[in-house]
Amino acid sequence: MQVIENLKVKEKVYIEKLENGLKIMVIPKENMQKKYIIWGTNFGSIDNTFILPGEKEATKIPDGVAHFLEHKMFEQRNGTNSLDTLSNIGVDANAYTTNDHTAYLYEATDNFYEALDEFMDYVQNPYYTDENVEKEKGIIGQEIKMYDDNGEWEAYRNALKNMYENHPIAIKIEGDIDSISKIDKETLYKCYNNFYNPSNMTMVICGDFKPEEIVNEIKKRLIPKEKIGEIQRIYPKIEKGVNKKETQVQMEVSNPLFVIAFKDPIYSEEEKLVELEQNKVKRHIAIEIILYMLLGRSSNLYKTLYEQGILLNQPDLSYEFSKHYGYIMISGQSKDPKKISEGLKNEIQKLKEDGINEETFSRIKKKIYGDYVTEYNNIEEIAMMFLADSFKGINSLDYIEEYNFVTVEYAKQVLDEIFSTDNMTISIVNPKK
Amino acid sequence: MGYNFYDIKEGIKLHVIETNKFKTNLLAIFLTTPLCKENITKNALIPLVLKRGTQNLKTQEEISKKLEGMYGASFDCGVDKTGDNQILKFYLESLNNNYLPEKEDLLLESINTLLEILFNPLKEDEGFKQNYVESEKNNLKDIIEGKKDNKARYAQERCIEEMYKNKPYGLYKLGNVEDLDKIDNKNLYERYQELIKKCKIDIFVSGEVDNKTIESFKENEYIKKLEGRKPEYNINTIETEKKEETKENEIKEKMDVEQAKIVIGLDIFQENIEDKYTALVYNAILGGTPTSKMFQNVREKESLAYTIGSGYIRQKANILIKGGIDVQNYEKALKIIKEQLEDMKNGNFDEDDIASAKKYIISTIKFIPDEQDTEITYYFGQEISGYNMNYKEYIERIENITKEQIVQLAARIKVNTIYLLSK
Repeated sequence: MQVIENLKVKEKVYIEKLENGLKIMVIPKENMQKKYIIWGTNFGSIDNTFILPGEKEATKIPDGVAHFLEHKMFEQRNGTNSLDTLSNIGVDANAYTTNDHTAYLYEATDNFYEALDEFMDYVQNPYYTDENVEKEKGIIGQEIKMYDDNGEWEAYRNALKNMYENHPIAIKIEGDIDSISKIDKETLYKCYNNFYNPSNMTMVICGDFKPEEIVNEIKKRLIPKEKIGEIQRIYPKIEKGVNKKETQVQMEVSNPLFVIAFKDPIYSEEEKLVELEQNKVKRHIAIEIILYMLLGRSSNLYKTLYEQGILLNQPDLSYEFSKHYGYIMISGQSKDPKKISEGLKNEIQKLKEDGINEETFSRIKKKIYGDYVTEYNNIEEIAMMFLADSFKGINSLDYIEEYNFVTVEYAKQVLDEIFSTDNMTISIVNPKK
Repeated sequence: MGYNFYDIKEGIKLHVIETNKFKTNLLAIFLTTPLCKENITKNALIPLVLKRGTQNLKTQEEISKKLEGMYGASFDCGVDKTGDNQILKFYLESLNNNYLPEKEDLLLESINTLLEILFNPLKEDEGFKQNYVESEKNNLKDIIEGKKDNKARYAQERCIEEMYKNKPYGLYKLGNVEDLDKIDNKNLYERYQELIKKCKIDIFVSGEVDNKTIESFKENEYIKKLEGRKPEYNINTIETEKKEETKENEIKEKMDVEQAKIVIGLDIFQENIEDKYTALVYNAILGGTPTSKMFQNVREKESLAYTIGSGYIRQKANILIKGGIDVQNYEKALKIIKEQLEDMKNGNFDEDDIASAKKYIISTIKFIPDEQDTEITYYFGQEISGYNMNYKEYIERIENITKEQIVQLAARIKVNTIYLLSK
């Protein structure tokens, strides 16, 4: 078992790769009551076209299959529902689907192993019938409608559409009423049998565990499955620049909601992707530092916009990326989002011309160090972070090491590369008149 | 390790939670004052103005720079309503000294910074700084109007407003837009002074603390200046929450939404303290878990909803049932929901349902010490309810609830208001 220790945050991660290809990570937390496990497969909403092992033709599936499959995993052949079974022993289980992965999880105290039996049983044994697939369409239909009333979600989705014209990153994770009507049990089984192979999955366990012991308990409960060949995922090429500079729609909201986004151009340049593999953590940190310098609470732009009543709060600042795409999002609520994007353009220009102030840079670095360490407070967040990072090929602890190596020069290079008006787009949800 | 409290002065209490589970120390200060129409908007405005600047850190920018330099210490404030009280909450979270790259006493600095923000505001001619107050009045207006942005929460607020018409608990925690015109920097400052003189003050510190930490609070100049007081606040008890028989009130409102929101407010006619624990178990069986009656019948059997469940409001002896549905299914959903309430009265649930509800509640209790803010909220909840119960006793109380008690209570639960928000 591989052990990685970080002395700054005083945490260790134990990593074991099993013969069947399953990756297990254990982060022991001796003094916590809560025990947490999350089991993810590298199958998300962007995986909608692929060539399966042994096949020649590409398979194209309807929007929302990964999410639909997640909903349907809990049903068991004997008529029980694993969510109920776990709930009956006082265990809170859940699942979620993202762009690039699907995850199943639960938290427990004393009855962890009893729950593990059920958990590993239902994730390894799908049971889909025409009837239970049909029934779920009504429930997911309501989930879709719930998101349709969410202005923030709408602004986010439109920003993605502005950046990516033909890429599945822009489709809704849950699909729409029309696309889910096309989903049947055959599609679900086909996806399950390929994407839920252990070689495509990762498990993260966090809590008061002895690594060897928990890994053995997991091995005991694994059903033997043949390793399958590689699934060839087909994604469209990411075009340079954005597809649309601006989108405005109207909804039932009090003040406009906005997302200002920058599409990371590096994903359009295949020759740079190898180097990116080495630098992705450092690059992520540099982008965060720049974002705080531009529009963080201590920035000039934030001060100006706040005093003008244009911003009430610091917008959310984030960089999302996978192996295939990356984008920056600045999102919030404002009376006049266009003023924010104008201000941002000027501030970027100024920062490029005047250079990065050393004092500000090192202060923001201190802040970021604190933010990263604080992420190790909460067991769920730790487990979810290690899982999501693992699918990007990252060990989460690297952030605490690498932050020290981000220099002003490197940040300047990243600033010039990404923060340009060619890569920028704005999506606004206006109040209805 | 463990929880202790100290009376610094009458009405000012320091709560210390010693724990080594976290990378951070969390400080929280809660100012508790009765919900009242006259002061509610002013009170809600106070935290917004305080975070703008102090006599030593005059602008938000200065405060932010200071916090960033303290390894990203994070300050947060907000307003809540708990029972018939309005609570002004202030938090500061910063790294535990053990995780700093260089040796520093960040905890002491955090304590002093938080107290500075609360008790040493920037002033201008006998009032708060005028332009801070004016700009925060506009901000508060936007925040209050933003209430409708989250449709589920909005529907819930509206249902409570209807249930508590012309009563303190029916007030929106952030006040109302009409009051803002009458507020200026002077009368707001007067209200602030009155508030900190009369309110109940609870200070929490959670993390790796020692006697020095406790001294740091006692020795702080702003704490020294505060006078002891007979704190003005409400304790909600079985007696204060006696319900009256009312006719079922049905309210339908329009908004341009894709999904309709239904909220049903229930009154619980509680007779003794035991009923509060019974109500928790009742609520878990009715709509608190994935095996609950609501989830099983409205969602899993009939596919009418994605979100459906219920929550118990302990201080006010109410349960709110909440769901998102298609508007044409309203009558059907309502019928099924009411059948579940009848089922509860008729005892149509078994020992397994009770056992699973109890286990569910007990694991949430066991998880409390694993989250710093949750643990603070737990002890604060005890504090303003006027009792002091540890986790073990709490769990025992839940374990002892019987089916008979649940059925008896179910007969004393009545629908007060049915609220529907739809297109």
